[in-house]
This record gives sequence, C-alpha cells and structure tokens, in this order.
Amino acid sequence: MIATNKMLSIKNLKAEIEGKKILNGINLEVKAGEVHAIMGPNGAGKSTLSAVLAGRADYDVTEGSVTLDGKDLLDMSAEDRAREGVFLAFQYPIEIPGVSTTNFLKTAVNEKRKYQGLEPMEATDFLKLMRQKMEFVEMDKSLTSRSLNEGFSGGEKKRNEIFQMAMLEPKLSILDETDSGLDIDALRLVSEGVNKLRSKDNAYIVITHYQRLLDYIVPDFVHVLYKGRIVKSGDASLAKELELKGYDWIKAEVEASM
Amino acid sequence: MKLEENIKTEFHQYKNQAEENAFFQMREKAFAEFDKNGFPTIKNEEWKYTNLKSIFDKNFKSTCVSSANVKNLLVDSVFNSIKANKLVFVNGSFNPELSNIIEKDNAIVISNLAKARKENTNVFDAHFGKYAKIENESLNAMNMALMSDGAFVYVPSNKKVENPIIIMNVVDSTDINVLSQPRNLIVIEKNAEACIVESYISAGTNASFINVVNEIYVDENAHLEHYKIQQQTGESYQNNYTQIFQEANTNINQVTLTLDGTMVRNNLHFYMNGKNCDTLLYGLYITEGSNHVDNHTRVDHAMPNCHSNELYKGIMKDKSTAVFNGKIMVHLDAQKTNAYQRNQNILLDPEATINTKPQLEIFADDVKCTHGATVGQLDEEPMFYLRSRGIPEDVARKMLLNAFADDIAEKIKIPELVGLLEQLIEEKL
Ligand SMILES: Nc1ncnc2c1ncn2[C@@H]1O[C@H](COP(=O)(O)OP(=O)(O)OP(=O)(O)O)[C@@H](O)[C@H]1O
Ligand SMILES: [Mg+2]
Repeated sequence: MIATNKMLSIKNLKAEIEGKKILNGINLEVKAGEVHAIMGPNGAGKSTLSAVLAGRADYDVTEGSVTLDGKDLLDMSAEDRAREGVFLAFQYPIEIPGVSTTNFLKTAVNEKRKYQGLEPMEATDFLKLMRQKMEFVEMDKSLTSRSLNEGFSGGEKKRNEIFQMAMLEPKLSILDETDSGLDIDALRLVSEGVNKLRSKDNAYIVITHYQRLLDYIVPDFVHVLYKGRIVKSGDASLAKELELKGYDWIKAEVEASM
Repeated sequence: MKLEENIKTEFHQYKNQAEENAFFQMREKAFAEFDKNGFPTIKNEEWKYTNLKSIFDKNFKSTCVSSANVKNLLVDSVFNSIKANKLVFVNGSFNPELSNIIEKDNAIVISNLAKARKENTNVFDAHFGKYAKIENESLNAMNMALMSDGAFVYVPSNKKVENPIIIMNVVDSTDINVLSQPRNLIVIEKNAEACIVESYISAGTNASFINVVNEIYVDENAHLEHYKIQQQTGESYQNNYTQIFQEANTNINQVTLTLDGTMVRNNLHFYMNGKNCDTLLYGLYITEGSNHVDNHTRVDHAMPNCHSNELYKGIMKDKSTAVFNGKIMVHLDAQKTNAYQRNQNILLDPEATINTKPQLEIFADDVKCTHGATVGQLDEEPMFYLRSRGIPEDVARKMLLNAFADDIAEKIKIPELVGLLEQLIEEKL
C-alpha cells in the first residue's frame, strides 16, 4: 500500500464537557484502506473521541483540528459529516419509538444522495438494497418494520448499526465497542461483514477492549488511549500484548514520564 | 355580558311556547342554575387559566341556517372515505340528508335526540340528564336549558355495532356569529360494543361558539371506543363536556385529538361505578398562533380493582397556550386501584406556554397511583442519532415530532382514519 492519501487527520485535539477536560491532545492519522484499533481503560475518552468526530454538540472542542480528506470536519454539522462519509456505530445505540427503521434508512440514504446531487432512490431499488444488506449481517427482516431499535436486544441493536453502515457505505467508519453484546456467531458474522466492506477507499477506527474482535478484523495499527491521550501505538501485536499484560505497565510508563 | 343576555332572551322565547312537561321542567331548573351562577370567570379555580371573557362579550345567536359550503366541507373531511354510520348536525340541528346510517341491525338505534325523546322514551328517560351535572356547571346548565338536538345512540345488550358511528358537528358561521349547543346521549348496554367518533369542523368567517354536552352510559362488560377529533377553524370557541358513567367490568379506550380551534376547553370525566373497569385516556393537542387548548380530565375511581391510564401529549407553537389538568379521585372504597397519568409537552417557541397540573386525591389506602409531567424541547439524543446518519436537523425534528404525535393518533382503532389523521398531523408540524 502506498500511503500518501491521508483520509483523517487529527491534530492536538482537546475537548471538554462542563469544564471537565476529557481529550487532552489527540494526534492520529488514518489513511484510506487502513484499520486502526483504539484500546484503553474505561473512561479513557474513546467514546468521547468518537462523539467529537461524529459532531455531538455537547462537547466543547477547545484546541486542535480535524480534517477529512482535507476538509475541516469540526466546522461541519453532524449531518454534513455523515454525508461526507463519517459513520459512527454507537456503543449504546438508543431506541427511537415511533420512527420506523425502514423510513429512517430511506430518509438517510436519500438525504445523502441529495447531498451528492443524485435523485432519490426508486422504492423498489431501495427495498432491494435493504434486503441485500440485511442478508449481509443476517438481520431479521421483522426488525426493519419495527420502530428504530425499540425493544431490540443488545445484540440486535449492534447488528442494526452495522446494517446501517452497510446501507450508507461510509468512507470512515468508527465502531465503538460493536463487539460488546454480540454472541460468538454474531461477532464472527459482523466481523466478516466489515472485512467484506473493507476496500482501498475506506477506513475503519475500531474501538474495542478485546483481542477477540481483532482476530477477525486484523488492524494495521493499534493505539492505546489513556487519560485523553494516545500514549502508545503499535501494530497488531500490541493488542495481543495488552491482552496478556493489561494496562498497568502502560499506565506506569505514562506516570513515569510525567 | 352580551351572551348572557342573548341566552336569557332565548330562554324566555322558548318558555313562552314550551309544553309544560318533565322535559321542560328539567330545562327550567337548568336555566335557573345558569341564571344564578352566570358564566365561570378566572376566579373559579377550574377556569383559572382559561378566560372565556372574549366569548361572553360577543353576540351569538342560535340558528339552524346552513350554507352550501357544508356539503363540500364534509366531502373534504378525513371522514369522507371512512365506512361508517354518519350523523350530521349543522349548528346543532340534525341534517338527515347529509347523514347516512349503514348499520343493518334494527335493534341498534343510531338517531337524533329529538326523535329519540319520542320514540325511545324508556331509554331516554332513564339516562337523559342523569350524568352531566348542572350544579355549579353553568355551561352544562346553559346546554340543558337551550340545547338544540344531538346524537342518540342505543346499543342493546350483547349487540356489537359493526361500523363506527361518526357524529359530525359542523358549525357554520357564514352569516352571523353562531351559538351551537348540541347534546349527545349514548347508551351501551351489557356486553355490547361500539365505536363512537365525535368530529368538529367549521365553515364561515364569523365567530362561533359550540357548547357540547355528552352523556355516555356504559353498562356491565361493555366495551366502548370513543374518539374526539377537533378541527374547527376560523374564530371558533368550543366547550366540550363529557361524562362517561361506567358499570363493572367495562372497558373504554378514549382518544381526544385537538388539531385546531381558537379556544377549546375539554372536560372529560369518567365515573367508575363498578369493579374491574379498565379505562384508557389519550390526548394530543397541537396549538399554534394565539390559540388556546385546555384539557380538564377527571377519573373517579369509586369502586375497587379498577385501572386507568392516561397519557396526554402537546406540541405548542408560536404564542399558543395550553392547559392540562388531570384529576384522579380515588374514593374510600376503591381499594386496589391502579391509576397512572402522564402529560408530555414540547414547546417549539419560547413564547408558547403550558400550564400542567396533576391532581391526585386519594382516600383509599391500597392504591397504586403515579403521575408525571414533562415540558421541554425535543430530546437531544435521538436528534443526534438521526443527524449522525446524515438526516438534516429540520427533517430529523419533523420525524421526531411526528413520532411523538403519531403515538397518540395510533391509539385510534380505525386504521384508514389513523393514516389520514397522521397525514394531517404531518402537514401541521
Ligand atoms: N456528558 C458527560 N458529562 C460528564 N462527563 C462525561 C460525559 N461524557 C463523558 N464523560 C466522562 O469522560 C470520561 C471519558 O468517557 P468515555 O465515555 O469517552 O470513556 P470510554 O473510553 O469510552 O470508556 P469505556 O471503555 O468505559 O466505554 C469519563 O470519565 C466520563 O465519565
Ligand atoms: Mg466508550
């Protein structure tokens, strides 16, 4: 792979909420075609980083910059980021009663097409696409006729996130602990799905606590996030090391250097 | 107080040519009650947030005149395509030409009150004026004194009305300011079943005031679906009083949709007179401009083991105002009562106002009762979820508002009607 095309570039990103500093200077570069895994102890700021990238307004970005294919991401609304190709699979997908999954997806797909200057999709084409992508993650058909995530099991919600990702074909997908809550078969299935979607044109940031997922989705880079900073980066072997040794040695390294 | 004078004049005219009978005596007693108390003012606790002054300072006249518009209005209404029994009242007068009864079973009576008073005397005498009290309820008294006509529905024991019964009230103020005072009497006997819809629409540009009273008796083991769809336009005022009297083991699903109207006041009262009643009350009000909607509900748990669940939702725009006052009265004997109440409001403009007040009065000790009210904007979390999928903020907001409102519309069990109402709601939001 000739690595020239920086897709995502995060420089010295700092963010806080209600005066509480959570991200303390993140630097990360992701190129098209790459998979980056982010690991790190609970409360390190992994979900916060994904939320800030996706455009959640609750967090104040106090310093730093983020660009997607050279465009200033922090300057865009959440919907524009999505239509530019950012997708966040939520750690805790919420339930939205009264909004049908099908109607929601049709709106999302067509809004993206509109943004790209394309006509809305024909109803039959849309249904065909939906059927195809549903098979892809073996999602039960009955789920799409229900309200978005309402009463879905934990695993069904996670599968629904990946189904949406498959429908929207993003450039940059951020999977925030998509593996938690999935049973063993679903984990393999979802991972295989992601692997099939991988291409030289898209990239993935995979947040996880477990090596298990990375056995399926093999990352090019592994980063450790701790106290709002990336404190260590390496290749896939770093995740295996963490699995064996935990985080204490990294925490000690960080404290020592401070 | 122009209206008060109008009422007095009208009553004296009526009195001069009325027959001296029990019916007249009832009306005379009601008029005396009205005369004694006059119209409620905001000093009355029940009317604190709803000021009727602008109505009472106007001249209104009762009239049965109707314009050619009425027919078109009915064709354009959401009910036009619905297969149902339709009773049409224009300015409170029964219009047989525009009405249409399709029910086959002749034992089921779907008719008008004036006719029923003569032809269904036993049922009429047993129930008329028995449930909606007139003491300290001036507007009920005024209705009793001068009501014009209204729907009469009688479903005998073990009968099921196959098609919904739609009571279409059209207020036509094309020529003058109109006062309309219909009164509906509905009697559902043991084990019987019916679905009744009240509709309110209007024609004309003068002011109108419709003062409705509904008395509904539901006997043991009967099931009632009851919906109110309020869509009056122009300068329209409505006072709608409903007293539902439930015997043991009755099952009621009530939905009130207030989609338009300058000022709408609903007084919806349930009295559970037997054990094991199950009552569901749902309401949706969407207000805009300087419109005002006031929902006063009251559920009287008078007997043990009854269940009631109430959910009212409001969406308020512009400078509009709304009131929700939900009273749950658990009487001394009503052990094992389960009563729930929620009122959720979304204010879309900073100048919109809601006054919400739950009122729980509990005299029994073994009772489960909860209530809660929320006032606010749309939740941030679902907004962000939708936007994070590329759905623009305004589209996302509409989706969520529709979901919020449709939740109530979907409690109506006439699928074709729900679809049409949801379309209307979408256009409004
Ligand atoms: N809305 C908020 N208000 C206050 N504190 C917050 C908020 N969101 C996040 N935090 C705090 O920021 C820190 C980072 O949280 P975040 O959810 O990003 O951690 P995480 O790395 O994803 O952890 P986990 O592995 O448990 O998912 C935590 O201490 C959390 O309590
Ligand atoms: Mg997290």
